[in-house]
Amino acid sequence: MPIIAKNFYDFFGLERKLGIDTADLQKRFYELSRRWHPDRFTRKSAAEQADALDATAVLNDGYRTLRDPVKRAEYLLTEEGFPIGEQRSKDVPPELLEEVFELNMMLEELRGGDESARPQLESAKQTFIDLRSGVDRDLERLFTTYDAAEPASETARQALHEIRGALNRRRYIENLIRDVDRALNPAIATEEPVENLL
Amino acid sequence: MAYSDKVLDHYNHPRNVGSLDKSSADVGTGMVGAPECGDVMKLQVKVNPQTGVIEDAKFKTFGCGSAIASSSLATEWLKGKTVDQALEIKNTDIVNELSLPPVKIHCSVLAEDAIKAAISDYKNKQTARSAEAVAV
Repeated sequence: MPIIAKNFYDFFGLERKLGIDTADLQKRFYELSRRWHPDRFTRKSAAEQADALDATAVLNDGYRTLRDPVKRAEYLLTEEGFPIGEQRSKDVPPELLEEVFELNMMLEELRGGDESARPQLESAKQTFIDLRSGVDRDLERLFTTYDAAEPASETARQALHEIRGALNRRRYIENLIRDVDRALNPAIATEEPVENLL
Repeated sequence: MAYSDKVLDHYNHPRNVGSLDKSSADVGTGMVGAPECGDVMKLQVKVNPQTGVIEDAKFKTFGCGSAIASSSLATEWLKGKTVDQALEIKNTDIVNELSLPPVKIHCSVLAEDAIKAAISDYKNKQTARSAEAVAV
């Protein structure tokens, strides 16, 4: 009985890279799903059944994490000892803060019942969606840099450092877009749909 | 999580909410934000250039109760202080005054950053103005 790898990359038999072929990942996911399916373990020992259950958990968490570029990068950063979310205000560009402040003013007006803020908010939302696309392009470029660099080299560390900054910026922007959506459509539930993986 | 009475008081009755004329040479503006929680804080001081005393302070904060209370308290403390005294305000003073729990310490750090940013903006404006005066 092989020991179940806890690291998602190891579990899927992938190199620890930030660029991943998601079609290949999906193929591996289906293969591993079949291999660890509980139905195949009904006649096995309790220990083997427990292993299969563990494997299924890693399989689902791992697939959900690795197929999403942002979650994948967050995971790799944490694994490489770069905890995310540790950032001071100095790291946020001042122009972005101005935009964020203005946006919050508009949100407050709309929540206060001032409907004239609505069109402004719509256009502000577009601004932040564009900003997010910009961050995504930065991330793509940094992923390539990281993957091309020697593991644990100065270049790799520098790339991870910049990726962390970009991820924090992205999360900030993402929260703002969510706030705008909630203010514009208070009736619509913004819960993420729960996907059925198996 | 329970807020302390002082935080609640500042949150329910924030002092000095508003804004000052950003373009005035006697006004310093500090804009800071915390990416992890989405808070954004604007703090402004109006300084008497002759005496260096802060005559007015205003703030507007979008964020949690502790962030609002920290900046509200900061504006209260700033009024009547000289710019140099203002720079001596430490985030730990705010933590102690408001009894902020460890998870909310970053709010006080934000307020300290905002004070420093506002004063530095004021000083930059004054330097630019005296440079202009010399040039004329």
